[in-house]
Amino acid sequence: MKEIQQKIEPLLLKTQKPARYIGGELGSIIKDKEKVDVRFAFCFPDVYDVGMSHLGMKILYGLKNQRENWWCERVFMPEKDFEKMMRENDIPLYALESLDPIRDFDFIGFTLQYELSYTNVLEMLDLAGLPVFSRDRRSLTPIVVGGGPCVCNPEPIADFFDLFILGEGEEVNIELLELYEKMKPDSPTKEEFLREAAKIEGIYVPSLYDVTYNDNGTVKNIFPKDEQLPKRIKKRVIVDFDKVYYPDSFVVPFTSIVHDRAVVEVLRGCIRGCRFCQAGFIYRPFREKNIDTIKNETKCLCEQTGYEQVSLSSLSTSDYTEIEKLLNTLTDYTDKENINLSLPSLRIDNFSDELLEKIASVRKSGLTFAPEAGTQRLRDVINKNITEDEIINTCRMAFAAGYGNVKLYFMLGLPDETDEDVVAIAELAQRIVNLYYELPRENRAPSIQVSISVATFVPKPFTPFEFEPQTSPEEIDRKQKLIMDSIKSKKIRFSYHQQPVSVLEGVLARGDRRLSDAIYTAWKKGCTLDSWDEHFRPDLWDEAFNECGIDKSFYANRRRDYNEVMPWNHLDYLVSHEFFVRENKKAHQAITTRNCCEGCSGCGIGKEYGGIYCGNAKKSES
Amino acid sequence: MEMPKNQNLRIERFDYRLTFAKKGRARYISHLDLMRTMQRAIKRAGVPIWYTQGFNPHAYLMFPLALPLGTDSEVELLDIALIENWDYEKLVQQLNKSMPEGLYFVKAAEPKMKHTEIAYAEYEIEASFDKPSAQAFELFKSFINCETIEIEKRVKPKKGKKATFKTIDIKPNLTILGLEIRDDKVWVNLRLPAGTEMNLNTGSLIDAFCMQNNVQLQDIYTKRTKILCKNGENFT
Repeated sequence: MKEIQQKIEPLLLKTQKPARYIGGELGSIIKDKEKVDVRFAFCFPDVYDVGMSHLGMKILYGLKNQRENWWCERVFMPEKDFEKMMRENDIPLYALESLDPIRDFDFIGFTLQYELSYTNVLEMLDLAGLPVFSRDRRSLTPIVVGGGPCVCNPEPIADFFDLFILGEGEEVNIELLELYEKMKPDSPTKEEFLREAAKIEGIYVPSLYDVTYNDNGTVKNIFPKDEQLPKRIKKRVIVDFDKVYYPDSFVVPFTSIVHDRAVVEVLRGCIRGCRFCQAGFIYRPFREKNIDTIKNETKCLCEQTGYEQVSLSSLSTSDYTEIEKLLNTLTDYTDKENINLSLPSLRIDNFSDELLEKIASVRKSGLTFAPEAGTQRLRDVINKNITEDEIINTCRMAFAAGYGNVKLYFMLGLPDETDEDVVAIAELAQRIVNLYYELPRENRAPSIQVSISVATFVPKPFTPFEFEPQTSPEEIDRKQKLIMDSIKSKKIRFSYHQQPVSVLEGVLARGDRRLSDAIYTAWKKGCTLDSWDEHFRPDLWDEAFNECGIDKSFYANRRRDYNEVMPWNHLDYLVSHEFFVRENKKAHQAITTRNCCEGCSGCGIGKEYGGIYCGNAKKSES
Repeated sequence: MEMPKNQNLRIERFDYRLTFAKKGRARYISHLDLMRTMQRAIKRAGVPIWYTQGFNPHAYLMFPLALPLGTDSEVELLDIALIENWDYEKLVQQLNKSMPEGLYFVKAAEPKMKHTEIAYAEYEIEASFDKPSAQAFELFKSFINCETIEIEKRVKPKKGKKATFKTIDIKPNLTILGLEIRDDKVWVNLRLPAGTEMNLNTGSLIDAFCMQNNVQLQDIYTKRTKILCKNGENFT
């Protein structure tokens, strides 16, 4: 520790936001390493400001550190300026608590939240002084593990990891570390340990599986190297979600981060089934915490951290069964303590006047909605079950309550999208602007701004759209211009995604193992921090794909047959293939599917997983 | 029309001037971040803080003088207001229960002077350069004994403009209280203007020294030791 601290201190004053690199924040956990048996470096493969906002890290950090003889520490990707200084001064990647080099740890864990962070994983392993390919790391430790949503198709990065954790981590992380603690005294080989680990449900060891390909380039088969291994690896689910571990304190950063507030998770999973949304399927089934649990966690976190803002986290907070009662309970506490309660994920359809008042009572921030598509027909295709009336009514209510800032999220390049659908995005925004002017001047906010943010749709694994081709970059370009030309009001602000980023995301999301060479080559050429506009280098990525003989359109822009073996075929996220096929067919007919609350649609998840609406599920439906 | 949320609430307030230390890892907390850090620390401590009266009530905190990033100090000041009359010692004890490493309160007192009365601050600098300490010491001695000491000072940018620099002579404003070689390093104790009228930081002095003498800084440790009024008394 002393050695690294001495080396970094003189550098800190020359770098941007040095507090990101020195640790020492309130709530960070320091242990005596002589008394520690298992050391875990929890790496978020992006800069501190982003990584520190991530709830999953806070949960698993607290969870592992509950054990006296385990020490979990935080590691983030340095910005380019500091990374350069680290390399020039021979400073290996270190953990923020102990300031020890992470190459000496037992585990190095990465959370994979988005595909564009893959090169950062390589960069961080390299900065740590480790070979990036799993096969070149011969000794038992450090064991490099990956988790998070991207692990539902980890094949493009399978060669860099020793094992992956599928699904929710609260139980399986403990099981994995316990196994290690038990085996460590016998100094097993890496392979011996990985073989044992592969027996834990939810753990996928990619080196124990082989892939064969068809002549047309598609995957032929993915199979375990021996019979003891499961053919399909099942994701982990916390069945009793109300009782799951939740941290009683967060590490409170000095420097401002993206989400700088207390966060309390109220529910997991989503009832909606929007067909484009990966989170809506891979986090199923829908489970909730009790109001008392949420209240206690809120109070405890606010007291421990001193945050003046608390946010309820979920995929759709207004789907909480007793939302009004929950908010009444929470605002009783937050109002008294001058704490601002924010609800980031609300749906338009069940947004009531009272609800609006609750959020606006402490501080009036903007309202954000996601209609996702401009016309009803296209919203039916994607199963976004909200109507234009609902959007208009909610905005009218919001304007009347004094809001002047409305943000609308849309997607471009959805399956079966026509120019009419695209132009309708601008028209909807215009109608909302008009709505504001219909209100008498004294009853509305002094000014109005409607921001429309249009993302490019990227088909993802484990969604009904996993079969769909991604719209070509040229076509997306044309559609973006079409929206721009259709906007007539200065009160409408339009922003959209850079093209090449979405293409890369599309390739990586549905890629197979053959992409790892391209990722390695791109990284070697200097690609890191790809999700940052100022650092993203599409030219270098294209060079890498060319050198490795990878055709991007094969992965991104090709329609896949229902019977095609997907690169993630051996992973089981509990929602059935048949359900996705059925949903895909219904999408093309613009037929919606009811949400879980209205009645079970037979996605394949059994009720033994704790979903509160899974009662009527038929065991198998095909 | 909606009334400000906190209007007509309890408005009696009790003012406190806190002295705190910022050392070790905590010295890399920037001034802006320090505001947030202190707000949260006070919130955590459960001290009954006074909130501003308006549409956006926020905890009242005021730093009379900013501390440059990377500088150690045990004499920093923070003004707060409470809605209850608390004993000074109890306040310090309560606040120190949940502070991050390197940041802690030394004492609490009644604010006696206005912020505008701050005029000087004193610092101790310990620095090593890419020259032997004896040589660096001689260079520094002749640097501060020159007729004029010119440094580049950043001029506050006008709205929408980029910051510019102007050269100023700080010789009249610089008081050297001590200069020697300690532990093979150049050790300086000095006084510089601080506060609203004129503010000079040690960094620009050292930068000017390095540039004009063509030496490289290798290691530096700076500590603020005093905050003073115009008449030379401690600011309280």
